[in-house]
Amino acid sequence: MILISRFRSIPVTYRVPAIVALLMVVISAVISEHVLDRLSRTQEGFLNGLAETYLDGLSSAVIPSVLRGDVWEVFDALDRSKSSYAALSPIETVVTGSDGRILAATDPTRMATFSQLPDSYLSRYGPGVVTIDESALTGFAKRDLIYQGQPVGTIHATFDVSRLFAERREILFTLLVTNGLLAVLFSLGGFLIVRQMIAPMRVLENHMRSAAHGAAEPISPGEIPAGDSEVAGLFRGYNTLVHAERERANFAMQLAEEEKLSSLGRLASGMAHEINNPLGGLFNALDTLKTHGETPGVRDTSISLIERGLAGIRDVVEAALATYRPERSQRLLTAEDFDDVRLLLKPELRRRRQRLDWDMAWNGAGEIPIKGGPVRQAVLNLLLNASTVTPEGGVVSLKAGSRDDRLRIEIGDQGPGMSPDIAAILTHEDPGPAVRAGRGLGLWMVRRVVDDLGGSANITAKQNGGTAITLEIPFGGETAKANAA
Amino acid sequence: MPTHIATDRRRILKGALGGVGLLALPRTSWAEVEPFQFGLTPVFLSNDLELLNHLRGYLTKKIGSPVELVTRRTYQEITALLVSGQIHSAWICGYPYVQYKADLDLVATPVWQGQPLYQSYLIAAAGRVVDDWHGLNGDVHAFSDPDSNSGFLVTRTLLAKNKLLPEAFFSRSFFTYGHRNVVRAVASGLAQSGSVDGYVYEVMRETDPDLIKQAKIVRKSEWLGFPPVASPKSLAGDPRVEALRQALVSMRDDSEGKKVLDLLRLDGFLATDPSLFDTIAAEVEIVRQFG
Repeated sequence: MILISRFRSIPVTYRVPAIVALLMVVISAVISEHVLDRLSRTQEGFLNGLAETYLDGLSSAVIPSVLRGDVWEVFDALDRSKSSYAALSPIETVVTGSDGRILAATDPTRMATFSQLPDSYLSRYGPGVVTIDESALTGFAKRDLIYQGQPVGTIHATFDVSRLFAERREILFTLLVTNGLLAVLFSLGGFLIVRQMIAPMRVLENHMRSAAHGAAEPISPGEIPAGDSEVAGLFRGYNTLVHAERERANFAMQLAEEEKLSSLGRLASGMAHEINNPLGGLFNALDTLKTHGETPGVRDTSISLIERGLAGIRDVVEAALATYRPERSQRLLTAEDFDDVRLLLKPELRRRRQRLDWDMAWNGAGEIPIKGGPVRQAVLNLLLNASTVTPEGGVVSLKAGSRDDRLRIEIGDQGPGMSPDIAAILTHEDPGPAVRAGRGLGLWMVRRVVDDLGGSANITAKQNGGTAITLEIPFGGETAKANAA
Repeated sequence: MPTHIATDRRRILKGALGGVGLLALPRTSWAEVEPFQFGLTPVFLSNDLELLNHLRGYLTKKIGSPVELVTRRTYQEITALLVSGQIHSAWICGYPYVQYKADLDLVATPVWQGQPLYQSYLIAAAGRVVDDWHGLNGDVHAFSDPDSNSGFLVTRTLLAKNKLLPEAFFSRSFFTYGHRNVVRAVASGLAQSGSVDGYVYEVMRETDPDLIKQAKIVRKSEWLGFPPVASPKSLAGDPRVEALRQALVSMRDDSEGKKVLDLLRLDGFLATDPSLFDTIAAEVEIVRQFG
């Protein structure tokens, strides 16, 4: 299993040629085995035929001489047969009489005439016509000489079969070299073909890698192969996907902008109301000053009124600036950020006659190592949502506190509860499907802030109705995330 | 018609007996002539077809009638054919000549190295250390032919003179029916020693030097009468026998005859006295007396 998984990890460019080579090795092994087996049988048949012919010829030549015990004639026949049967390569032939003594041998110095035939000659034969001793590269055959049904002697022949083995070796070598070359050629061919085949896949792979890093670029028309309809279809499909993704992203950005403008509009109208409220008082104070400005008591009171009114207006304007000017979002989170949110929310709450339960468990430290701007944005969005879903005259709550190494913020409402689709935007690993549906863009912005800061969101239903959204944001989360990336 | 059939049958018979040389001649001219049958023993290099062709050609020319060369495997077969008058003449060995002296006429005797004599050799393998013929005791011995003087009788006489029998002195013996075969048997190791015609052995130094290199002479016999050409006494009046004698004796004067002599490495033929073979007759007597 490990071997297979390792093999699968090899690139397909090398895997296919390796499989081709392996197949060639297996095929060549099978073919070689068959060829050699066939050759072996053919050689055996050929050798048997030759040996039979040799023994037949020799038998008819020597039987009369063996009958007479004519040593010379037997030897002469053996001597002449040497040149007649060169194809068989006889090494030694011995003719014995009926008493088992040697009448003549091709080499009388080795096998003396009239001596007893060694026992080893009698025991060396197998069941076939020719018995082969592979170690000595020799073949043995014998023929009993029968005359009128009576055995009169025996021919014992030894052949040199080294040529047969040499032929086998030569053929095996040829097979190995040929099949080896074919395997290499096929592997090389396979490598080149596969590389050519997967070249378009590499183009696609590179584009997808780029896309994974956020730069999804369509494949240029020049790179789409004209002849390969399958690959061309794939590339065009990919391009369609990239275009669709781009359109979706543009659409999402557009919607986000609209949402932003929408909430900005609500805030602006709130702010205008907030500014307008003291304006009446301020003009009254100005009229009072004009009319009774000489009266010290009245004048001081009026100036004090004007001052407080302008201070209120200044606070609202500053809160708006802090939230919507990006350069200010880089500073760290402080308690004032929450105060600004509260200030910005006030007009909306007032409009809907809602109450805000404000519970800040600040640890006393001036700053928390979390970017202030995004947190303000997220908290403001969530509170505005909470205000929207909470009935008029209801209660919206915010609980914020830092503990150990993280900031915990809980926003509560008295709404009817959040649908799972919408909740998924905040809590699901992939908020994509819900966002693509074009809903909950405010929540999506919150999700992006939470993800950027390395935090998490949790949604729970409150016991007495309504929903609580909890954000947990670690200190220095964005830095950690950047480092991890 | 019957006459034609009889003639055809005779022709076929003649043709069959006539051999290759006869068939080569124009049939019509020799059809009615009985061929002169000349027997050859393996005393010389009988396997030399070139020699046979030249000899037949020469004799045919000189005798004036077709000549059929009759060869057999053994001396005995040729001797039997000759003595029984079935062939007109034959080159036989001195031993059968002596045995059938009463029935045979001497036609001519070959001259080798200036005289009508030759020797018998006892030979052994070249590498063998042996001082004299006694060292051959216990050998497997190759004889040429039981009717050969040099290839059997001389050795048997030598042993008889020493009160020995071949079967007692040699462990085993066999006949090769050819002097050249004796040399082959000894050279190959089939036999440890052999009895061979000295003339054949010496000629083989030229024709088969490789074979001779593998053998060595252990003993040379005394000089003996060279195997002669003889004819049956019954044909004493046949002019063709006389023509044969003349052809043999004058062989060195004819170009084709010279070719035959050169191939045989002989100087010529002589009309010799039967007493030339008295030494062989003496050997036969020694063997006969010893049993």
